[in-house]
Amino acid sequence: MSVRNAFLGLLAQKPRHGYELRAAFEAIAGGGVNWDVKPAQVYATLDRLAEAGLVVCTSDLGEGDEPGRRVYALTEAGLAALRQWFDEGVEPEHQRDEFYIKLMVALASGAGDPHRILRTQRGLIYQRLHGLTTQRNALDARVALAQVLLLDKAIMHLEADLRWLEFVEARLGDIQRQPLPAPQVRARGRPKKGS
Amino acid sequence: MPIVETQNLSKIYGAGEVAVTALDHVSISVEAGEFVAIMGPSGCGKSTLLHLLGGLDSVSDGSVLIDGQNLAGMKDDDLTRLRRRKIGFIFQFFNLIPVLTAQENVALPITLDGVKPAEARARAAEWLTRLDMAERMHHRPDQLSGGQQQRVAIARALVADPDLILADEPTGNLDTRAGDEIAETLRQVSQQWGRAVVMVTHDPRIAAYADRIIFLKDGKVNDQTILAPRRNGDAATAAAPLQAPA
Amino acid sequence: MNMQLTLASRYLLGRKLRTALTVLAIAFGVLLIYGLNSIMPSFQQAFQANAMALASQVDASITNRAGAAFPAATLARVTAIDGVRTAIGTLERSLGLPADFFDHDPATPDRVAAVTLMGGEPAALRSMATYPLEEGRFLEAGDADAVVITRSLAEAAGVGLGDTLRLPTTGGLAALTVVGLLPQRLLPGNEEALVTLGEAQRLLDLPGQINVIEVNFDSAEKARRDQIEANIRAALGPGFTIGVLQAGAELLNSIEMGQQMMNLLGILGLLMGGFIILNTFRTVVAERRRDIGLLRAVGASRRTVTGLILVESLLLGALGSVIGLALGFGLARLVTSALAPMYGQFLNLQIPLPGFMPGLALAAVGAGVGVTVLASLLPARAASRVTPLEALRPAIGPASLRKLTGVGFWSGVLMLALAVAALLTRSATWLSLGSLLFVLGLLLVSPALVTPIAALFGRLAALLFARDGTAQLAEGNLERQPSRAALTASTTMIGLAILVMSAGMISSISITFQRMLRTSLGSDYLLVPPAVATWGLSVGANPALAEELRAVDGVQVVSTLRFAGSQVGDLPISVLGIDPPAYEQTSGLTFDQGDPAAAYAQINAGRSVIVNGLLASGAGLKLGGTVNLLTATGETPYTVVGIGGDYLNAKLPTAYISQANIAADFGRREDVFYQINLKQGADPAAAEAAFKRLLQPYPQFKLVAGQAYIDQNLALFDAMFAGLYAMLIFLAIPSLIAMVNTLAIGVIERRREIGMLRAVGATRRQVRRVIVVEALILAAIGVAFGLLAGLYLGYMAVVALSAYGFSMDYAFPGSAIVVAIAAGLLFGVIAALIPARQAAGLPIVSALRFE
Ligand SMILES: Nc1ncnc2c1ncn2[C@@H]1O[C@H](COP(=O)(O)OP(=O)(O)O)[C@@H](O)[C@H]1O
Ligand SMILES: [Mg+2]
Repeated sequence: MSVRNAFLGLLAQKPRHGYELRAAFEAIAGGGVNWDVKPAQVYATLDRLAEAGLVVCTSDLGEGDEPGRRVYALTEAGLAALRQWFDEGVEPEHQRDEFYIKLMVALASGAGDPHRILRTQRGLIYQRLHGLTTQRNALDARVALAQVLLLDKAIMHLEADLRWLEFVEARLGDIQRQPLPAPQVRARGRPKKGS
Repeated sequence: MPIVETQNLSKIYGAGEVAVTALDHVSISVEAGEFVAIMGPSGCGKSTLLHLLGGLDSVSDGSVLIDGQNLAGMKDDDLTRLRRRKIGFIFQFFNLIPVLTAQENVALPITLDGVKPAEARARAAEWLTRLDMAERMHHRPDQLSGGQQQRVAIARALVADPDLILADEPTGNLDTRAGDEIAETLRQVSQQWGRAVVMVTHDPRIAAYADRIIFLKDGKVNDQTILAPRRNGDAATAAAPLQAPA
Repeated sequence: MNMQLTLASRYLLGRKLRTALTVLAIAFGVLLIYGLNSIMPSFQQAFQANAMALASQVDASITNRAGAAFPAATLARVTAIDGVRTAIGTLERSLGLPADFFDHDPATPDRVAAVTLMGGEPAALRSMATYPLEEGRFLEAGDADAVVITRSLAEAAGVGLGDTLRLPTTGGLAALTVVGLLPQRLLPGNEEALVTLGEAQRLLDLPGQINVIEVNFDSAEKARRDQIEANIRAALGPGFTIGVLQAGAELLNSIEMGQQMMNLLGILGLLMGGFIILNTFRTVVAERRRDIGLLRAVGASRRTVTGLILVESLLLGALGSVIGLALGFGLARLVTSALAPMYGQFLNLQIPLPGFMPGLALAAVGAGVGVTVLASLLPARAASRVTPLEALRPAIGPASLRKLTGVGFWSGVLMLALAVAALLTRSATWLSLGSLLFVLGLLLVSPALVTPIAALFGRLAALLFARDGTAQLAEGNLERQPSRAALTASTTMIGLAILVMSAGMISSISITFQRMLRTSLGSDYLLVPPAVATWGLSVGANPALAEELRAVDGVQVVSTLRFAGSQVGDLPISVLGIDPPAYEQTSGLTFDQGDPAAAYAQINAGRSVIVNGLLASGAGLKLGGTVNLLTATGETPYTVVGIGGDYLNAKLPTAYISQANIAADFGRREDVFYQINLKQGADPAAAEAAFKRLLQPYPQFKLVAGQAYIDQNLALFDAMFAGLYAMLIFLAIPSLIAMVNTLAIGVIERRREIGMLRAVGATRRQVRRVIVVEALILAAIGVAFGLLAGLYLGYMAVVALSAYGFSMDYAFPGSAIVVAIAAGLLFGVIAALIPARQAAGLPIVSALRFE
């Protein structure tokens, strides 16, 4: 979703080739290390956008039909879609957490050691944090402030994760003592799809 | 060979009913040029471990080896001498002597060791310059910000060319930015100048600067995380040009 | 209040060493006040009891104001007065005995040092008092050579009924037969020997004279008795006094003066205690600012905070005072029991051990607690000004140097200038004001001087023995709290100032007196009575002895002194009769004004007098003026022809007149002191042997070679110096406490710093050295100021004494200065011992943890 919208925005800046678009996106996102988009994904997205009439492919003269040679530009509808994106907030997403599920499953199944899982996660986050701080300190904030701030955001979230892990670890015993959340038994029928 | 090593180190405060086991069979070792953070909840024994590593307090059981030398059974004066030549300390509060200027504070350990005042001052100035404190050389501690005071303390810890720097919550009293700077400086101390640094902290952000984190819980080592793989050999080469003139 | 009490006691218990030291300081002051004050009354009591014992059963004793004897006919005038029921006339005289009079053993002094010879008509005596005889009989009219004594005197003298008791008199040894024994004396005091009036007049060479009239009134009613006393006064005129025994007044006076001196010492001690307490509480407040801020933040009012500090000081003060009281009681008993034998011997007084004196105790405790609370008042006020914000602010190192050359400094400088100016006025009032100004000025100036002096000595110490930066640390520590350092140093300063001042005074006095000594006592031989200068207690000899001495082969000249007590206005004075031609040859007065030759000539010519400086300034006499001396017959005018004095009488206002005049106006013919010169080439051994033979009946005199006597007197000055150094030790105690206190407080305050020093590699020895150097610098400051103040005060005292009539040269007390410097620095090191040990012994980790 955000890649799609970002492409719209970058095309609003000027019409671009697909590979050009990919490079511009990666630069803004703080480099391929942070967020890398495969070329296939770029073209698939562009195709979908063209299908929806948000972009048009203005093939360059004599450059053939290869996807790499195609130049894309924004349409009126595309601009409207971009405006709509700007007008809406971005939903923060924290409740759907893989680590949490992993821990709960371990607790429920008894197949994994929750302490071990916690430690592994903590170690991983610390390693990421170490990497991020190293990365961040290698940047010069006088010219790359935007990237520094992005890294700061990531660092702060990792810090928050670490604090949360500390809480979890401290209260693990209590969690284990409490009954695990059980599925609500319905009288009839299957639960609705998508819930 | 590790710079500092503990073997089944225990520390028990008090006796009988009121005995508190602050450390319980802790075995760790720190290599030259390594930057180790010690983390854990308050009261888990971090400071106690640091004090024992520095020979500031006596062990109840087990041993502490500095550069292969067992601290147990050393006479106080020998211990003091070892401390002043091999170990540099950085604390959270009141790190400096208020009546001395930054330069005099830095020069203190080597002055106490009998280095001539003029030379001691010169070496102090050198380290302060290296730590970006050249302009504050003649200020008293109360004329310096917290971050600057800590920098002076780091310079003082380094002035005698010790192998090991021990820091107890060096950023505990500082804001995030100053804390980051101090942590970065300590990383520099280990990476660039090849000293072993053991730092106690409860701030994950600061701990992330280290190469390795040791987690303590209730006086025991609970976990260790390696954050950066050992950089073989680089410490030694980097440290060489910085040895003080003999 | 309850909460304050809890907090106060917790804080006090939390700092045991400091609490102990502060308590000690207060205890010391209270100890001095109580201890010394309770000793003196003991002595006074003993003396008064003695006097009372003599006058116990009579309503009034009438004596001549000059203490002179008067014609027995006066008795008839008293008897005739309305309201007088009975009156008797007696002739009494205290006979001072040489220390080896009875047992002839100079090593063990006799228990009885004086005997009062009491002559009265037997019948009259018995009408006044009862004399319960144990053995023998009472005196009878017409008895010759008979004496009644107490059993205790008989035992001391080793005689029994019918034996012969020998007593020294002006006519030589008197031999009296013991006819009766009275019971042992119960009340301590003079032993009495009762003889008939005629016998006494013969023995004392005062024919037809009496010196006491004892009177019983016919009423016990107060108004009537006052009336009778008034009648007596009217009948006898101003030459007589009723009631008190004149002879004792002088002694009581000097006892009172001693008491005042000791009070001064006590007050000084307490003052130092005050300094220490001020100091302590200032630190207490400084290091507790956070706590106090917290208290304020949680709702304590300013008043509560002030109260907290005051309650703490109250607790300290009360504790210190009670301890001081107990120690003072002990000290009083100790000193009394040590001094009593000595006094018993000199004055024949039995000194009782002092009992507990509730009034005095209350006053001493009041002073102790008062000074403590007063001293803590300023810090308490400072504490109340701490804002709640202080609890929230992180503590910043207190290294900021305040501007120290403020109003206080400059007013101090002004005071010093005024004090020096006061020296130029040479007026006693200005001088004493000047000394006060000088000390105050020094105290005010000192904080500003601490930094430069500390820097100087710090550098010195760094050069000498503390090369490793420790001297610099010590110096910095002192400069951090200059006013506290100054306050501490000021206790040392006071102690040393007193030492140097006294040394300056004593050496000046000593030099002046040595010069006088050589003029006054320059003769070959002296005959010295047991009590020199308190001539009234000595038994002299008739003129016959002098004649006999003159007749000895080889004697060139014999001059004598005769003595009478007198008064000028209300000032009790000594009157000495000299015989100028002879006196000039053997001895001489040191003249301040007037021509010696002319003056000697004039006193022989008429009623002329040479007065010493003390008398001249005391009575405001000028050369050529007139002075009215109180004689046996009333006031008699004398012309002042010279101002000067001799060594022996320098401490007392003294008038020198001719021996003819002292006989005529005072009825004295008795020689109390002799100076003898031999002819050139005479055989000293033979002369000495002759003197000894002549003196056999006069054991009251000791033959001394002139030079030996001078040496003895010089030894006395040495003893005075020794006493001075003893005093120094005494005064050292509070300054020692103050220094220990400040240093210990410094250690407590800087625990964390010391822990840090140790952590970065200071050895125990180096930490110790920091504290010792600090103490040395403190001591050096104290010494510097002490010397300054002492020299000024000493010089001032000499100038002031000159203004009072003791003219003398100022002698620079070089040796005392050396002693003062050595002692001051030594105290510094001693004071540092405990705190230095404490600092060096601090466990590093706990010091670092210390909040
Ligand atoms: N001097 C002491 N006496 C008694 N107990 C102590 C002492 N010092 C520390 N402790 C206890 O030892 C444990 C560890 O303390 P410390 O090492 O200071 O913890 P932290 O990890 O917070 O630095 C704590 O429970 C503390 O209460
Ligand atoms: Mg700690």
